[in-house]
Amino acid sequence: MIAAPALFLALVSFWEMVVVSRVRVRAPSERDWQALSAAVRAAHRPGDLIVFAPGWIDPLGRHYLGDLIPLEMAGRMDAARYPVIWEVSERGARARETADLEPDRSQDFGRLTLRHYRQRAAVVVTDFAAALPGAEVSGRSRGAPSVLLEEVGFEAHRCVVVVPAPDQTVRIRYPAVELGAELVGHVGLADVFTRRDVRDPARLVVSIDGRTVADLTVGVDDGWVRFRALTTPHAGAVVEIAATAIGPRARDRRVCFAAEARR
Amino acid sequence: MRIPGQRVRRRLIAAALAVAALIAVLATQRHTGIARDEVPYMTSGAKYARWWIDFASLRDGTTSERRITDTFGGAHPTDNNREHPPLMKTLFGLSRILFCDVLGWASELTASRLPTAVLHAAAVAMIFGLGAQLWGSAAGLFAALLFLLMPRALFHAGLATFDAPMVALWLATLLAYHRSLASRWWSIGLAVAFGLALATKHNALMLPGVILPHYAWVAWRRSRVAVGDPAADPSSAAARPGRLVRLRGFVRALVRIQPFLVPALAVGGPLVLIAVWPWLWFDTVQHVRDWISFHTHHVHYNFEYLGENYNHPPFPWHVALVTTLFTVPVATLAAAVVGAAHTAARVRRGTAVDPDRAPVLLMALSAAVAMGVFLIPTTPIFGAEKHWAPAMPTFCLLAGAGIISAGDRVWRALVMRRWIPVTGGFARPAGAIAVGLLVASAALSETVAAQPYPLSSYNALAGGAPGGADLGMNRQFWGVAARGALPYLDEHVAPASGQPPVPVYTHDASPAWGLYRRLGLLRAGLPDAGGEERGVQRSRAALVIHERHFARHDIMIWREYGTVQPAFVLTFQGVPLVSVYLRPPPLRQDVGH
Repeated sequence: MIAAPALFLALVSFWEMVVVSRVRVRAPSERDWQALSAAVRAAHRPGDLIVFAPGWIDPLGRHYLGDLIPLEMAGRMDAARYPVIWEVSERGARARETADLEPDRSQDFGRLTLRHYRQRAAVVVTDFAAALPGAEVSGRSRGAPSVLLEEVGFEAHRCVVVVPAPDQTVRIRYPAVELGAELVGHVGLADVFTRRDVRDPARLVVSIDGRTVADLTVGVDDGWVRFRALTTPHAGAVVEIAATAIGPRARDRRVCFAAEARR
Repeated sequence: MRIPGQRVRRRLIAAALAVAALIAVLATQRHTGIARDEVPYMTSGAKYARWWIDFASLRDGTTSERRITDTFGGAHPTDNNREHPPLMKTLFGLSRILFCDVLGWASELTASRLPTAVLHAAAVAMIFGLGAQLWGSAAGLFAALLFLLMPRALFHAGLATFDAPMVALWLATLLAYHRSLASRWWSIGLAVAFGLALATKHNALMLPGVILPHYAWVAWRRSRVAVGDPAADPSSAAARPGRLVRLRGFVRALVRIQPFLVPALAVGGPLVLIAVWPWLWFDTVQHVRDWISFHTHHVHYNFEYLGENYNHPPFPWHVALVTTLFTVPVATLAAAVVGAAHTAARVRRGTAVDPDRAPVLLMALSAAVAMGVFLIPTTPIFGAEKHWAPAMPTFCLLAGAGIISAGDRVWRALVMRRWIPVTGGFARPAGAIAVGLLVASAALSETVAAQPYPLSSYNALAGGAPGGADLGMNRQFWGVAARGALPYLDEHVAPASGQPPVPVYTHDASPAWGLYRRLGLLRAGLPDAGGEERGVQRSRAALVIHERHFARHDIMIWREYGTVQPAFVLTFQGVPLVSVYLRPPPLRQDVGH
C-alpha cells in the first residue's frame, strides 16, 4: 500500500500515453472515406438522404459526398419524406434521423461504417414553404415573409422567415390547402446573434378552418421545435399560421417555420 | 574546483529551465496560426512603442493630451485598443521594432510574440524556484517541467496576447508578497509586480482576493502563537487567552507583519499602472472607469460547452473544473491530487512547510480565486482555460510535491523490505525521478499530440480531439487554424500570374489575412473578400472555421455558391477544423441563334 501513489501515477501515465498514441491512428483515413464514397455512389439514387454521425463529421462527409446532397436536402425540415437513408458513421454513432430505424445493410470501411435504411416515406400533399406565394399576409413585419435557407439551432433549415414588429403578429393565410392525415411542422428563431442580443421569445399559432391546432412559444435556446396535429384529409382548407414577436423589446425575431400536410 | 552552493545551483537550474522553455515556445509558435486578437494588439503595440521611443527621445509634443489620446485612447471603447492595459502591447511593439525592423533577426510575428515567450520562461523558472523552496529541487524541477508541458499554456505562451504574461506576473506578485512577509523592502517588489500585472490584464484585479485573506490568516496564526494560544501552537502549555487579547494580538499582527502591504496594493500597484499607461496621465478616474466598464459590459461571445452553445448568462458553474479536467494532462492532474493529499496530511500532522508564511495556502488560494470566479454563473466563459490560467502553477507545484512524495514512498517500501539500504545514496531520489519521468512523459505525449492545434486538443480523459468533439467541447477560437488551410489555397486557388485575383471569404481569419500575406504564408491574388453576406457574394473561395455558432457561415456560403460541398477540409485527429469552399463555375448556357 505504501507504494500505491507511485503505482497509481505510473498506471495513469502509461494509460495516458497509450490513449494519446491511439487517437490519431483511430481517425478514418482518406482511403476509408474514398472507399465509402465509392460504395455510396454505386447504389445511391436521387432523393436518397445521406446523414452523418456524429454530427461533427458533417463537413468531412459533405466533402466526399456533398454533390449528392442538394440544398433542399441539407435544409430539410425532417427526414420523414425520404424513403432511403444512408448513414455514414464513425465511432459507432447514430444520427437522430435513424434513431428509430433498423439498417437493412451495413458495411465497414476502415474506421467508418455505412448503413442503409428504408422507411415508409411521408407523402407530402402541401408544403407550406412552397405554397407561400399563394398565401395572404397581414400584420406589421420587417419585410415580407420569404422562403430562405436559415440557421436555426445551429443547423440549416429551409423555412418561411417572418420578422414581426415587436409585440406584433403577422398572419399568413393559406386559402385553399389540401390536407392529409396530419400536419407536421417545425419552428425556431433564426440567427445566433439576434438570438443572443434579444432574448425575447416568439409564438406560432397554427389554425385550420378557424380552429387552433398548434400553439407554441419558442425561446432563444429552443432550437428547431416540432409540432404535429392530426387532420381530416380534405381539399380547400383554410390554414392560418400566425407568428408573434412577444413583447415590446422583441425586435429581430426571425421566426422561421416549415410545415407539411402529409397524407 | 569549488562546488557551487545550493542557492547557486538552483539559480543555474532555473536559468536552464527558462532557456529551455523559451526555445520550446519559440519553436512551437512557428507553426501556430495568427490569433484574431493578436493583430490589434500588435498594431496598437507598434504605436505605443513608437510613442515611448519619442518620449525617451524627448520629442516635442509627445506628452500632449492629443498625441497621447491619438496613441492610447480615443472616443470609442475599442479605439487604439484602449480597453486593455498597454504593458504587453508596448513590449510587443518594442520587440518588433528591435528584433524585426532594426536587427532583422525575426519575423514581425515572432518578434511580437517574443515578450510573451520570455515571460512564460520566467514563469517556468519561478515555479521551479518556489517548488524547490517548498519541497526540494526535484519537486521544483518536475513542477516546472509539467507547467512547460501543458499543451494549452504552451500555446498561449507563443502568442502576442496577455494570458501567458498574466500567469507570470500573477505568480511574480504572489512571490513578491510572500517575500514581503519576511522583509519589508519586498513591499516595493510587490507594488511593482502588482502594478505590472494590472498593466497586463484586468484579471490582476483579483489578486488582492488572494493576498488579503492569506495575509489575514498569517496574521491570525502569528498572533495566536505570540499570545501562546494552544489552538495555533500545540506545543504551548498556556491556557487559552481571552477573546479581547486574541483580537488585540490579531490587529497588532495585521499592522506589524507587513505595514506596507495595503499601501503597496492600493497605492504602489496603481501608480505603476498609471506610469506605464499614458492614457491614465489625465482624466485618470474617467479613463479607469472606461477601462473597467468595457469589461463589465463585455458582449458574451459564443462558446460551446458540453454540447450547448452559450452566449448569455447563466453559464454552468462547472466550466472551469470540467475544462481543466479535459485540457490539462491527466498524469499532471493525478500527480497534483497525490500532492494535495500529501500536503493536506502534512498540515494535519503539523509539519506544513513554512507555517509562518504558509506558501502552500497562498498557492491554494491563488488557484481558488483564479478559478472560483468562474463558478459564478454571470462570469463569461468564452476564454476558457486562458482566463483561469493563473491557477495552473498551483496544479504543477502540487504535482511536483506528489511526484516526490510518491517516489519517497517507493523508497521507503524498498527500505522496509530491506531490498535497499537506508543510506542508499542515489536510491532515494531514484524513485521520485522514475515517477516524475513517467508523469512528464505522459504530459509530453499530450503536448506533442496537441500540435499545432492545442485549442482543439483535449486530453486522454476526454479522448483527444474526437472525444472533445463527442463531448461537445469548444472546437477552437480566434481563427488560429485558418493557417492550416493556406497551403491548399496557395496550391489550388491562387490565380496564376496575370489572372484576376480570387477574393476569399475569411470571416474569423479576416484580421490576420494581411499579416499572413506579409509573412509570405499566403500568395498574392487571394485578397480578403470582406465580411458577412457581401463578402460571401464578392468571394470566389470561402473559409469556414468550425465552431458551433459558425454554422451560419456555412449556410451563407451554401446559399450563395449553391453547393454544400467543401473542396477541402482541414482536420486534426480526424476532427474538421476548417472547410474551404470554391464557387462553382457558372453553368454554360447554350445560346440559340
